[in-house]
Amino acid sequence: MNRLARHYTWPVSVQKRNNVQVSGEGSTTMLFAHGFGCDQNMWRLLAPAYEKRYRTVRFDLVGSGNSDLSAYDRKKYASLDGYADDVVEIVREFGQGPTIFVGHSVSGMIGALANLKAPECFAAQIMLSPSPCYINDGDYVGGFTRADIDSLLETLEGNYLGWSSNMAPVIMGAAQQPELSVELTNSFCRTDPEIAAQFARVTFLTDVRSEIAKLGMPTLIIQCSDDLIAPMTVGQYLHKVLPHSTLSVVENVGHCPHLSAPSSSAAAIDSFLASEHL
Amino acid sequence: MGTERSAENAGMLDAAPCGLVQTTEAGEILWANLTFCKWVGYAREALITKVRFQDLLTMGGRIFHQTHWAPLLQIQGSISEVKLEFVHRDKTRIPMVLNAIRHDAEGRVVIEIAAFVAWDRDKYEKELVLSRKRLEELVQETAKLHANAKDRALFAEQMVGIVSHDLRNPLAAIANSASMIQRGELSVSQQRSVERINRAIDRAKWLIFDLLDFTQARLGQGLSVTTGELDLHEVIAESVNELIFIYPGRRLEHFRVGDGRCVADGNRLTQLVGNLVSNAMTYGSHDTPVLVTSEVGADTFSVEVQNQGPPIPEEIKATLFEPMTRGTGATSSGRSVGLGLFIVREIARAQGGQVSVISTLEQGTAFRATFPRAAPKS
Repeated sequence: MNRLARHYTWPVSVQKRNNVQVSGEGSTTMLFAHGFGCDQNMWRLLAPAYEKRYRTVRFDLVGSGNSDLSAYDRKKYASLDGYADDVVEIVREFGQGPTIFVGHSVSGMIGALANLKAPECFAAQIMLSPSPCYINDGDYVGGFTRADIDSLLETLEGNYLGWSSNMAPVIMGAAQQPELSVELTNSFCRTDPEIAAQFARVTFLTDVRSEIAKLGMPTLIIQCSDDLIAPMTVGQYLHKVLPHSTLSVVENVGHCPHLSAPSSSAAAIDSFLASEHL
Repeated sequence: MGTERSAENAGMLDAAPCGLVQTTEAGEILWANLTFCKWVGYAREALITKVRFQDLLTMGGRIFHQTHWAPLLQIQGSISEVKLEFVHRDKTRIPMVLNAIRHDAEGRVVIEIAAFVAWDRDKYEKELVLSRKRLEELVQETAKLHANAKDRALFAEQMVGIVSHDLRNPLAAIANSASMIQRGELSVSQQRSVERINRAIDRAKWLIFDLLDFTQARLGQGLSVTTGELDLHEVIAESVNELIFIYPGRRLEHFRVGDGRCVADGNRLTQLVGNLVSNAMTYGSHDTPVLVTSEVGADTFSVEVQNQGPPIPEEIKATLFEPMTRGTGATSSGRSVGLGLFIVREIARAQGGQVSVISTLEQGTAFRATFPRAAPKS
């Protein structure tokens, strides 16, 4: 294949599709997957600490951040499976040595599904604020009702109008943190409204409880002490059904311990990695 | 807004025309001005240290707060123009547009929020969302109708194919019986009747062949052709001689240009000339000859049929080669149902050729089918 042909390869590369960013050095890979809402910048307080010991790979889910929006296929991403397929491709292309998957929120489940598809690609799983099912179901307390999720979709709708077709940034950066480039500020947490609505539906209406019970991988569950999105009951449920899991509760109000409690999160991860000899 | 406020400043802030709130990182309300308290329907004492800011939101707003607002504030230090709905103490919802700044003073984080009630903007936006939804529904409905229409058209075309195929058997039976009758002793009027039957059978046969070709071209892989080496002039001359008998009283002349060798499907060429001549006879002037020219050049060969008479009306030129297009003035005696030119074009296409037409008042109308001389074997 000549150089020109390589340049125009189609479909787009995995790197471009998922805006894959590699840094750090090590014989083991840590793959960081962000959750619903924002993009890989969510890892900025946690991931850099691991660059000295691990090859770290960060990426944006298709439809989020600086991923290639033209790669967004409504059918493919109508379930978490489509995202899980992408994760397997990313690990195959960018992973070196054993790969530890670190997923926040919905990406905890995306990682679990990827793991079930290609267990040979992964050595361990770390889930921050995960939930296999957000909606209450009989004895299971996910924390939400279907009406709550509809209310979220309505809120999203109200906050996308300003972005609408030209996707102008409604949520602007502050001059207080000049290290953030304009491009970053504008793309952060911003998505096409249609994509955001579908992703919200897929995220919050998903129920992978029956699938993940088959997960045999060593798994760390980082549970926040006070999290609206993934309440304590969900962390306890996951710990019960995942045979090789460790539950670590981090003192934190909110859903993003990697941002608001990065050192406690890192401590939990370090001790898990040490116990798994990774 | 500093943490130390003079009584006068506090009074001004209390009466400010926007809601002002200070919270901790976790959302615990440290202070709120009276405007905000009034908007959400709580006394200040009921809010400060007792309620989290996010607990005043609808459930959707709370999820948004957790998944967008909090991480954005953490990373960017500020956010603006976020629209969230608050739940008033009386359970009504109040849409507000919010700006927020995160202050981190020696590890003590304070989040300052300014809120504006946005009833009108909210209403307007909801209308926009609604009309967008309606538009999407309409687009979907149109697409569905379109798909249905396509399905129905396809079904109709398949039906045409099946019926014309099955009509061949009864027609063959009629033809056989007519020729049986013809062998016996017949009166003059009986003889005439049988001849009429035979002519009608011929017309019906041509109709069926056209319809079968049509369905094959539309629903199959295109018209089937079997090409071989042949002499174009001889094939066309033979066709013209047959056609002369079909149009008694009309003049049909054949011209040859170049040597005749080429690769083509002779039967299909006969059909093509038949269709073009039929059109020329139907739509051309009756007192001038129809001219057929077969021409073989270095790389291409062509067949042209020309007639005098009124030109093709502009309004049907664009769809001339589409099925079911009929010229004005066509009578029921014409054997075509409007498939003639469609089939001509398909015959040309199946052999890698194309059809062009020139039609003016002065020069009359000329259809020319041009083919590559060494047509690809099918």
